[in-house]
Amino acid sequence: MVPGSPAPAAAGTAAAPVLRLARRRFSWQGVATAVASLLIPLALWWGLAVGIAELRNIAFPTPHDTYQRLVDLIRGKLLNDFTIYQHVADSLQRWAVGFGIAMATGIFSGLLLGWSRLLERLSMPTITVLQLVPGLAWIPVAILLFGVNPRATIFMIAVTALAPIVINTTAGVKGVDEMYLRAGRMMGAEDRTLFMRVLLPGSLPHLLSGLRVGFANGWRVLVAGEMIVGTGTGLGYSIIQSRWTLDYAAAFVCIAIICIIGLTVERGVLLPLERRTVERWGLARSA
Amino acid sequence: MIHLDSVTKLFPNEETGQAVQALQAIDLAVEQNEFVCLLGPSGCGKSTLLNIVAGFERPTSGRVLFEGEPVRAPGPERGVVFQEPTLFPWLTVEQNVDFGLRSIGLKAAVRRETVRRFVSLVGLSDFARARPHQLSGGMKQRVQLARVLALDPRALLMDEPFGALDAQTRDRLQDELLGIWGRDRKTVLFVTHNVEEAVYLADRVVVLAPAPDGITADVPISILRPRDRYSNEMRETTMALMAVLADLPCCVLPSRSVGEVSLREPSTTMPG
Repeated sequence: MVPGSPAPAAAGTAAAPVLRLARRRFSWQGVATAVASLLIPLALWWGLAVGIAELRNIAFPTPHDTYQRLVDLIRGKLLNDFTIYQHVADSLQRWAVGFGIAMATGIFSGLLLGWSRLLERLSMPTITVLQLVPGLAWIPVAILLFGVNPRATIFMIAVTALAPIVINTTAGVKGVDEMYLRAGRMMGAEDRTLFMRVLLPGSLPHLLSGLRVGFANGWRVLVAGEMIVGTGTGLGYSIIQSRWTLDYAAAFVCIAIICIIGLTVERGVLLPLERRTVERWGLARSA
Repeated sequence: MIHLDSVTKLFPNEETGQAVQALQAIDLAVEQNEFVCLLGPSGCGKSTLLNIVAGFERPTSGRVLFEGEPVRAPGPERGVVFQEPTLFPWLTVEQNVDFGLRSIGLKAAVRRETVRRFVSLVGLSDFARARPHQLSGGMKQRVQLARVLALDPRALLMDEPFGALDAQTRDRLQDELLGIWGRDRKTVLFVTHNVEEAVYLADRVVVLAPAPDGITADVPISILRPRDRYSNEMRETTMALMAVLADLPCCVLPSRSVGEVSLREPSTTMPG
């Protein structure tokens, strides 16, 4: 009754080498390259810092200064009247709210636009233009809409994260094979069921990469967002504030923290999630 | 049970904008519990015809009745088995079978039991938690069969379901399909371009030629069941049908003609 029983094993071995290639194998050369890729820019930074200090007689923070400041801050020293933890938490919270809004509206409208050709034609040009607007250009709009208020910051994060989510979700829905919809309808699924159980999962790989891009956009615009409204806390606010306090080492610490958090969320959460989805469903292994 | 009344289908040609005729004035009746094979070369419109009965496409003119009611949309009473794997890759085998049961609103306990029964009916109990990409082509078609049978359809519409399978798997699935049909007595409309398959399975073989010719032969197959693939009776009937097909214009899509050449000669799988 089961002539094809060895098939899963066969499919497994066929897929395995591809997956294994994607993961790096351990080798000393690889480790050396990775270490060098960290040390070289660090050395360049150090050289630059020393050179600038000589030439312009300014205390350009060296990696060592930055590290010292980081240790200070981690130990609880205040930066602009708040601990570094407070700054990180506030930034993360603003980003989470902004990104959450972008995610909810972006996925919903992406599903709609992918579903309706008319809606897509009507709104895609606007969304494409939206995507091209540089983050900083939203400052006047944000202030006009919300005033100098933390909501303006959240607006900027949401609006820059939105476009890639909508565009990718729409592409994902449109990429769902018509045959899946036919199969779903044939089995008695209503529109709502098709939406939730066919179009949504079918567009998930695209949707996830849209979220990844949207996340990065929103996180990057955080500095600009916190800059305009003088939020009093936040990593972006602290960077701008160093202009007046001359605490450039702290600004460098904040820049580093922004990079590390961004990298962790993108590489540590979103990208693996996207890969796992694609691999688990056996979709586009070559892509 | 299924009645096609002068069904015509025109498609616009994307490049020229002209209408291409896929079906012209097709009349066909399939009786309750009958196993009808729709046989014809590629491009003759047999899949279009099946899609119209399934409700995926609307005829340009003419009527399609299912149990006396006009067909307006797809529905679980007409279970479709597609040639391509259309299992949802994000669902496991049991979830795929469960999809339809959930859509028609059955209770969880009933669904669980039904899923178990039909997954085991097609011999895939050990693979209930596997995802489609882990299955062989034959196993995927079993799951397709299980997911429509679970909905207890009154008719099965099958569009070259075994066309992409190797010969042994195909033979095996044909036998299983006949077994299920024999037990449950469902009406089957089965599209194929494989003459032997049609003769082996069908009560009646309807030969469809590209429009405007339409149905050129309607041959009852009276060979007693269970049939022996290698009997003389089977071979003679197959040869006779091949002769009918050989007189048809090959196809309307020249690029797909290669696969049909074998119809003009006895196939290599035939003994003697």
